[in-house]
Amino acid sequence: MFDRVVERLTRRVAQKSSRRSFLARLGTALAGGALLPLLPVDRSGRLKRAHAQAFAEQAQTQDDTACNYWRYCAMDGYLCTCCNGAVNACPPGSEPSPTSWVGSCINPDDGQTYLIAYRDCCGKGVCGRCPCLSTEGEMPVYRPQLSNDIDWCFGARSMVYHCTTAGLVGRA
Amino acid sequence: MRRSAPILATATALVLLASSAWAAQDIEALPEEARLVPEEAFTTRTLPPPAPSWIYVLDVAFDNLVASRVNIFDVLSGDFLGVLHSGYVPNVLPAPDRREVYVVETYWTHGTRGRREDLVTVFDARTLEVLAEIPLPRGRALIVSKQPVAQLSDDGRFLLSFNLSPATSVSLVDVQRRAYVGEIEAPGCSLVYPTGARSFSMLCPDGSLVDVAFAEDGSARVADNEPFFDAENDPVFEHAARDPDARLWYFISYDGTLYEVGYDENGRTALRESWSVVSAEDAAEGWRPGGWQLLARDPRSGRLYLLMHKGPKWSHKWPGEEVWVLDPAANRRIARLPLEEPAVSLLVTAGEEPLLAALSDTGLLTILDPASGEVQRRIEGAGVTPFLLDAFAP
Repeated sequence: MFDRVVERLTRRVAQKSSRRSFLARLGTALAGGALLPLLPVDRSGRLKRAHAQAFAEQAQTQDDTACNYWRYCAMDGYLCTCCNGAVNACPPGSEPSPTSWVGSCINPDDGQTYLIAYRDCCGKGVCGRCPCLSTEGEMPVYRPQLSNDIDWCFGARSMVYHCTTAGLVGRA
Repeated sequence: MRRSAPILATATALVLLASSAWAAQDIEALPEEARLVPEEAFTTRTLPPPAPSWIYVLDVAFDNLVASRVNIFDVLSGDFLGVLHSGYVPNVLPAPDRREVYVVETYWTHGTRGRREDLVTVFDARTLEVLAEIPLPRGRALIVSKQPVAQLSDDGRFLLSFNLSPATSVSLVDVQRRAYVGEIEAPGCSLVYPTGARSFSMLCPDGSLVDVAFAEDGSARVADNEPFFDAENDPVFEHAARDPDARLWYFISYDGTLYEVGYDENGRTALRESWSVVSAEDAAEGWRPGGWQLLARDPRSGRLYLLMHKGPKWSHKWPGEEVWVLDPAANRRIARLPLEEPAVSLLVTAGEEPLLAALSDTGLLTILDPASGEVQRRIEGAGVTPFLLDAFAP
């Protein structure tokens, strides 16, 4: 019961914040995946830790089609899980971007931090289902590795963005 | 009338057949009954000479990014003037001489698939016909449309288009000669902020600008600077405002610090001053800048208009509930204009009657008196997922 109340509250918060700005939802649409080796990976910082903790407070581990699924702490994009893909699979007809952007998310079940690889599925038009955005820690375009306004299908055969996955790399 | 119906139907079918042919057909080749001549005159309209009150609203069409559009309105009359159809995350650049509009865009030959093509499309500002298509052989950055992704040199001759592959550079296009000139490398730095006819600057990840001076042949000199803001903790938004007469760019940070960056005749930049537009009291209430194209300058009064909302840190994309009017000469706020509907983008038109346009993410374009904040008119349906407002320079 308590859990359900919490969940309902969380959902309401999530809905409210996503309704708040269509732009914010959209901003993620091209977001995503790939972080190429030549760009510096920002793993430092209280910024990311604080973000992961704030996200984890309202995260859950059951429904990977909801924006507060624990792996989505640094998610920006349309969820491939809502597009007949999975957290580790692209939907039919799309192609995974060869590189990915890594985030650190806390699994609320065990309290441990895991590395998550966000990877875009490319080569099809926008899926358009389940847009999720976290702008916590999100940076302008001149810091590309942390910007969610960039189409990160670099290296795929096509730059047309479809959706974003969130694969588990391992314990951080 | 009844007797003519079958003839009409036949004629329509023939016209449809004719128009689906690969090549345009000579009207003389059509059967006689297909050549209907209406009694009244029939024409295609041409727009009047472009005015500073025209606004180009870019709708990126988020559910179908490959087919964006640009809706054109005269915000003085509220009239819809026309539409330009455009490609994936384009940029729209009305030429300073008001004769042409450039759209920097990306297509795939079969819609969402096929060969990718990046180009600058030159539209006639009055007929809205395509005058030229200039290929961009080095592509272009695919970023949800933001103004500094592509800009014009101050004399309007060169178009500067940012590339992110993800190595960074700028493509130089001579729009007068309708030709791609070359690529200017600026490793690690992004976006384009013009500082003259042959110079521009770019923002770098460490919070500095690089200053680029280029020649007509595409050769360029790039000069570094020290950081002028804290890119790690309080970055500046990409959208900035410019005072070309005072040779100044205004950048606003996530927490509300306004940086005034001057430049000289060679395009060398230097921070002149910075100040916070958010007082301790405002900050305690949670006021922050936010939105998309969130900062605008009135070219007549020199005042700045900034979208502000109440929200936590990292709410920098929330729409603005108010427009704060700033006097950058006195480093103070002079007014707060509450908005009926939160806005994501702002623009102040040039000309004798400047107007403040505020765009909501639901496609409502609200036109206000920039001095009083009084609503002059509301234009509904400015777009479905509109992001940017562009207009002719003063």
